[in-house]
Amino acid sequence: MKKSFAAFWRRNLALCNLGIASNLEYRFNFIVDAFVQPILTVGIEVLLWLAIFKTAETAFIGGFSRESYLAYAVWAPFLGRITISWMYESMMVEEVASGSINTILSRPLSFYEYYLSQMMGYKVVTTVFSLLVPVAASIFFKLPIFFDRLLPAMSLVIYYLLLVHTLSFIISTLGFFLTRVRSFTLVKNLTLWLLSGELVPIDLMPAALQKFFLLLPFSSGVYIPLAYISGRGDFNLLVQGFINVTVALAIAGTFSIYFWRRGLHEYTGTGA
Amino acid sequence: MSFTIETNNLGRTYKTYQKKEGLLNSFRAFYSREYVEKVALKGATLQLEAGKIVGLVGANGAGKTTLLKILSGLIYPSSGTATVLGFEPWKRQNEYLKQISILLGQKNQLWWDITPRDSYSLLAKIYDLDLNKARARVNELAHLLKCTQVLDTQLRRLSLGERMKMEIIGSLLHSPKVLFLDEPTIGLDIVAQSAIRDFLQVYVDEHKPAIILTSHYMDDIAQLADQLLLMSQGQIVYNGTVDEFMAASDLKKKLIYRFKNSMQEKEMIFNSQELSVVLSQIIAEGEIVDIKVEEVNFEEVIRRFLAKESGSL
Repeated sequence: MKKSFAAFWRRNLALCNLGIASNLEYRFNFIVDAFVQPILTVGIEVLLWLAIFKTAETAFIGGFSRESYLAYAVWAPFLGRITISWMYESMMVEEVASGSINTILSRPLSFYEYYLSQMMGYKVVTTVFSLLVPVAASIFFKLPIFFDRLLPAMSLVIYYLLLVHTLSFIISTLGFFLTRVRSFTLVKNLTLWLLSGELVPIDLMPAALQKFFLLLPFSSGVYIPLAYISGRGDFNLLVQGFINVTVALAIAGTFSIYFWRRGLHEYTGTGA
Repeated sequence: MSFTIETNNLGRTYKTYQKKEGLLNSFRAFYSREYVEKVALKGATLQLEAGKIVGLVGANGAGKTTLLKILSGLIYPSSGTATVLGFEPWKRQNEYLKQISILLGQKNQLWWDITPRDSYSLLAKIYDLDLNKARARVNELAHLLKCTQVLDTQLRRLSLGERMKMEIIGSLLHSPKVLFLDEPTIGLDIVAQSAIRDFLQVYVDEHKPAIILTSHYMDDIAQLADQLLLMSQGQIVYNGTVDEFMAASDLKKKLIYRFKNSMQEKEMIFNSQELSVVLSQIIAEGEIVDIKVEEVNFEEVIRRFLAKESGSL
C-alpha cells in the first residue's frame, strides 16, 4: 500500500513535469501565454473601466467604487485563465476522437490522472509567472486587495480546477459515443464564463439570480475567491465555495465513472 | 500445458451507419440513420505459447488489428472469451498492463515534444521501475539498435526510422512478457526494416516474450514468425508454421516469360508437376523470346491464398 502510494506520487509528479517541459519547449509561445496575454487582458480591462468612470462622472456605479471595479477587472481574468482548461480539454477530446488514447489505455495509467497532472504542472508554472501582472497592477492603482488572503483563495481556485477537469473528462468520454464533441467544450466554457462571475460580477446581478449563482459551484472559480481577496466576501463565503465544489465533484465524479465505463464498452479503438 | 494467450470463439461486431450519396441524404441522415452491423472478428480460437513470434497476416479489414486490440485490452469483444497471461485483457488491470506492450507502427507512443531519454524516464515512473535499471536497459537496447546518438534529440526532430527504434525501446523498457507489434516496419526503408527484424530476432531469443506481429511486409513474417495465423473476413483460416504452409501449398514454381514484339514480362504460378502442360499452353499463345522458371516466394503464395479465401481469385 505504502509502495503503491509512493509510486502514485512519483508517477504524477513526472506527469506534472511533462506538462511543464512540453510547454517550456516552445519558449515564445510560453512567454506570450504567461506574460503578454495577461498584460494585454488587464490593460484592456483597466482602460475600459477608467473610460467608463471618466465619462459617467461618478465615483460609484451600482454601489461599487472605481477601485472595486478595477480590482475585479484586474483579478477576474487572471483567475478565469487559471480555471479554464480548454487546451487540455481539446487534447483529451482529440485523444478519444483520433484513437491516440490507445497509448494511455495500454499502459498502467488512468486517462484522468494523466491529463490532470500535466494540467496542474502547466497551471502552476504559468500562474506563478502571470501572477506578477495583477499584483503589480494592484500595487500601482492601490486597489483594495488583501494579499494575506491570497493563499486560501488560490487554494479554492485550484480545488475548483479539479471540478473543471472532471467536466472536461466527462466531455471527452462523450467522444466514445459521439466522436466529435468540440462544440460541447465551447458551450461549457461560455457557461462557466458567465456562472463563475468572470464576465459580470455576481453581486451586480438581481438578488434572486445572485443567490442562485452562489449556490452553484462555478462561482468558486472566480467570484468567491475574488470577493474574498477584495473584501467583498468573508471567510464563510470561501468555506461555502469549498463545500459547493465538494458536492459538485461527488456528482460529476459519479457521472464521469459511468460515462468512462460505458464509453470503453462502445470504443472501437479508432485509428489503431 | 498452459498457454500465454488463449481465445475461444472470440468475436467483435462494429455498428456503423450508412449514408447514401448526396446532400439531401445528409439532411435525411440527420434525423434518421440506418445502422448496419459489421463483423470484424468471428469465432477466433487460438492458443499461443511464450517465446514464440506469431505472424498475423491478412488483407486490410481481415480482422488482424481487431484481434490485436482485444488482446491488448483496448476494446471489448462482442462474444467469446480470451485470456492473456491469465488476465481478461479488457479489464485492464494494472498487473496485466505492466506485463504487456503494444507498438502501433503508425502512431507515436512516445512524447513528441521531449527527448526519448526523458520519455523513458517518464515511462519508468509509469511502470514503477527502478530508474537506474531502466537507464541501463535503455542504453543496452539503444546499443543493440545502434541509435544511442539520438536519445537526447526531441522525438519530433527524428527520422521515421529513428523514431521507430525509439518506440521499440519504449515498448520493451518494462520487459513485457507479451508484445503486440502492429506494422512495426511500415514506411521504413529496407535497411531500417532489416535492422528492426534482426533486433527482434535477437531480443526474442534472449528474453523469450510472446510476440504477435502483424505486417504487410511478408519478409517480416517469413524471417521472424515461428507460427503463422492467416485471417480472412474476420476468421482465422490458417494456423501453423510458415514451412508447413509453404509445404502444403500446391503452387511451387513461377514461370516468367515474354512474347515477341512485347516489352512486358508475364508471370504464371503453377504446380511443379504441371510444367509441360503450362509450357504447351504458353507456346500455343505466341512466339516466346525470353523465359525463366523461379521458386515461388512466400509473399506470392500468401497473396494468392488470401485472394482465394476472400473470393477474389
